[in-house]
Amino acid sequence: MANERLRALEEVEKEIATILQCAGNIVLELSKDKHNASLLDRQLVQFQGSVNRVESELSGQIRYLTQVATGQPHEGSTYSARKDCQMALNRAEYAKVKLGELGRTCEP
Amino acid sequence: MATQRVLPQSKESLLQNYNKRLKDDIRSILDNLTEIIKTAKIEDETQVARATQAEQDHYEMHVRAANIVRAGESLMKLVSDLKQFLILNDFPSVNDAISLQNQQLRSLQEECDKKLTSLRDEIAIDLYELEEEYYSSSYSQWDSTDLPLYEAYRRRDSWASPGSSCSSTQGDREDVEGPPSQETNPQHHLNGHGTSSIEKL
Repeated sequence: MANERLRALEEVEKEIATILQCAGNIVLELSKDKHNASLLDRQLVQFQGSVNRVESELSGQIRYLTQVATGQPHEGSTYSARKDCQMALNRAEYAKVKLGELGRTCEP
Repeated sequence: MATQRVLPQSKESLLQNYNKRLKDDIRSILDNLTEIIKTAKIEDETQVARATQAEQDHYEMHVRAANIVRAGESLMKLVSDLKQFLILNDFPSVNDAISLQNQQLRSLQEECDKKLTSLRDEIAIDLYELEEEYYSSSYSQWDSTDLPLYEAYRRRDSWASPGSSCSSTQGDREDVEGPPSQETNPQHHLNGHGTSSIEKL
């Protein structure tokens, strides 16, 4: 769930770049002696669509954060499970070492 | 939502600030582009000379284009701040991520321990046979206090039931001299290692 929201914000960043790209293309087209009206219309439609998407997405994210934010720090941790797993791996490594010694002892 | 959340003043003001920044930046981009398009229109009648008007329009377009770029960068900064705020304060997703990671770590630990336990059981059986082979061969050098594992278990079972008759073996006759010490310490040492060494796994 967190990854989806972060990915949505990354898409918003790409949309902002699209907004600036479209604005630049519009100004570039206007600087020419003969304007391509269809190109201008396409760029303008894309610009307006991107602006609306950016605004709606960021407003939605801010609204969601207004609902879930508590102002308190999160105190959850994965330390205990990680430590238990690390100790299990250490046990397996120790058993491997001991088996290696046993194997060397049993070799003719 | 029926109930309104009461956020700490800092968080609430921060989110209001985010909203304001969003509105201002979007408004800035739209207004500046609109003005650039208006300025691009060529007018026949101007109050000043055409060159002066062109120079003024040129400078105005530069400034408005710079404003559009500044508003775009401000929006990028806003997105970055929202990402940071989301990572730190979106408790439902943080809880999900923590529980998922705990679950993965615990399943890995259980699988590791299960395999170690099965390995222990297999090795115990093999060790039993190895010791039988070793202590019945001519290579073993052991005294009366050192007993192989199978002999130790046999002695322990016979002590547990004193009425049962034990078969007379060479190890029995050699151990007659030290029964008190053996009774008090039934765990015999096998080449210096205790019998509980296997159970430590």
